[in-house]
Amino acid sequence: MTPELEEIVPTDLRLNTDRVSAFLARRLALYVNEYAGRTRAIVGLSGGVDSAVVAYLSAKALGPENTHLYLLPSSSTPPEDMEDAKAVVERLRIPEGNCREVSIEKHTMDLASSLGKRQDRLTVANIKARVRMILLHGFASALGGLVVGTGDKSEITIGYFTKFGDGGADLFPIGDLYKSQVRQMAAEVGLPERVYRKMPSPALWEGQSAESELGIDYPTLDRILYRRFDLWWDEKSIAADLEVPLATVERIVQQVKRTQHKRYPPEVFKLSLRSHGSDWRYPREWG
Amino acid sequence: MGLAQISSKIGNVRENAKRHAEVMKKAGEDKADLTCFPELSLPGYSLKDLAYEVVDDCQVALTSLARRTAEGQRVMCGYVRQDALGLVQNSAAIMGDGKVLGTTSKFFLPTYGLFEELRYFVPGNPKTDLRVFESDKCRFGVIICEDAWHPEPIQALARLGAEVVFCLASSPARGISRAEPDGELPIESQWLSLLKAHALMSNVFIAFVNRVGPEDDEFFWGGSTLVSPGGEALARAKRDEADWVTADIDLDEVKRARRFSSFRDYRAEFHEVLRDL
Repeated sequence: MTPELEEIVPTDLRLNTDRVSAFLARRLALYVNEYAGRTRAIVGLSGGVDSAVVAYLSAKALGPENTHLYLLPSSSTPPEDMEDAKAVVERLRIPEGNCREVSIEKHTMDLASSLGKRQDRLTVANIKARVRMILLHGFASALGGLVVGTGDKSEITIGYFTKFGDGGADLFPIGDLYKSQVRQMAAEVGLPERVYRKMPSPALWEGQSAESELGIDYPTLDRILYRRFDLWWDEKSIAADLEVPLATVERIVQQVKRTQHKRYPPEVFKLSLRSHGSDWRYPREWG
Repeated sequence: MGLAQISSKIGNVRENAKRHAEVMKKAGEDKADLTCFPELSLPGYSLKDLAYEVVDDCQVALTSLARRTAEGQRVMCGYVRQDALGLVQNSAAIMGDGKVLGTTSKFFLPTYGLFEELRYFVPGNPKTDLRVFESDKCRFGVIICEDAWHPEPIQALARLGAEVVFCLASSPARGISRAEPDGELPIESQWLSLLKAHALMSNVFIAFVNRVGPEDDEFFWGGSTLVSPGGEALARAKRDEADWVTADIDLDEVKRARRFSSFRDYRAEFHEVLRDL
């Protein structure tokens, strides 16, 4: 690994990018074509690293001609994010007709004002994520595609996403890659440097920064999650190993527990002999 | 022999049986005396509650596939067998001479991580399921996947007279993010080590036939392998892709290996100690 990559991904999380990207592209193609019987990937492109890598994998799996990228800015989207998104479109040689920019500002404002009294920042932020979800599914339905989600393992694990917003996709091809690993893949598959170097932000309000909101940088977050959940370490050992305060590790683990509901389908209260939930155990691919 | 590394569609026994028939046709053309499919090759592996719902389809498919086998030919495939009303087993059928010649069921049912076999299946009984079958070319036994992660099933079959052991498997890929530079996964080298160790200890040929392809959130990595009694990998199927691999075996290798090993020196006292722990 080059010294530059060392800054992006901790050694203990480094990937075999060739193997993983080939595997994910293969699975994506099989899922979209064979399981779902569709041909196209619909991806919301933000200018960030997750959606860039998902766009890359979609183009690799289904071809640039079957990859449809949507830039869905709002007033809180930094202009440079849209420039970066366009650089990704260019780098992946996505045909011009497969790429569209649609502002979500008006939809967001209309919905926010329909809620009545002045809405707080988080409510409006969630509306933005859900408006994007609605549009992406609309495009998917019109084009015969699947909404390919861009959530990574770090965000999914700590619940750093909007339920039924960016959480409302058909599949999450990079959902088992931590943010640092997504950055490594972006670097190694030749995506623009600005995309994998930038500070991650959902850009749901002006100046939002994921790391300041979470109170921790992603490489450290990833190493905590990896140790706690991949390797089953206890919290004290993690704090000692990474030289971070125990309170930080405990806070992160608490966030994982608190957001469990976001990773599960809504609960059904059982009444019958066999209900949806723990005793409805059929495979996803069924019939 | 032929290693039929196929992908199966979960719960779609009819479609999977067609795939079996296609490969069996090829096996006939290639004059494979012994052909083996992966674990639960007819219904698919991650069946969950479907395990109870594929029994009849499996039985129909088996009867039809068995009719296609020629005199002297032996074909092994995986299916769900009804043990008693409402009870099912993860089983292998041994077909040949136009009929189903016998069955055996998995002894060790993994129930950890993604595996939940004990929730659904009744384990095989070593007293009735350790069986040695014959073709006009060799004597062979059949085990299923996790059975190879314990010393006894292969050892017992070898001592009962098997010269070849078929291991029907559905081994899913794990740790892909940490694959070796050549793409090898930890599970591949672990399996290869296991197969070689068994072959060396029991002086048998071992044909490991693994599933390939996706099934829900799992992906089976393939890599079916034939190992000689001397611990050499004689044939290897592709990783991550369906494949059909044929290889010739020379039973003299079993004879030679057994003349130069302590295979015969079984000590029952070890099992008495284990039993009484």
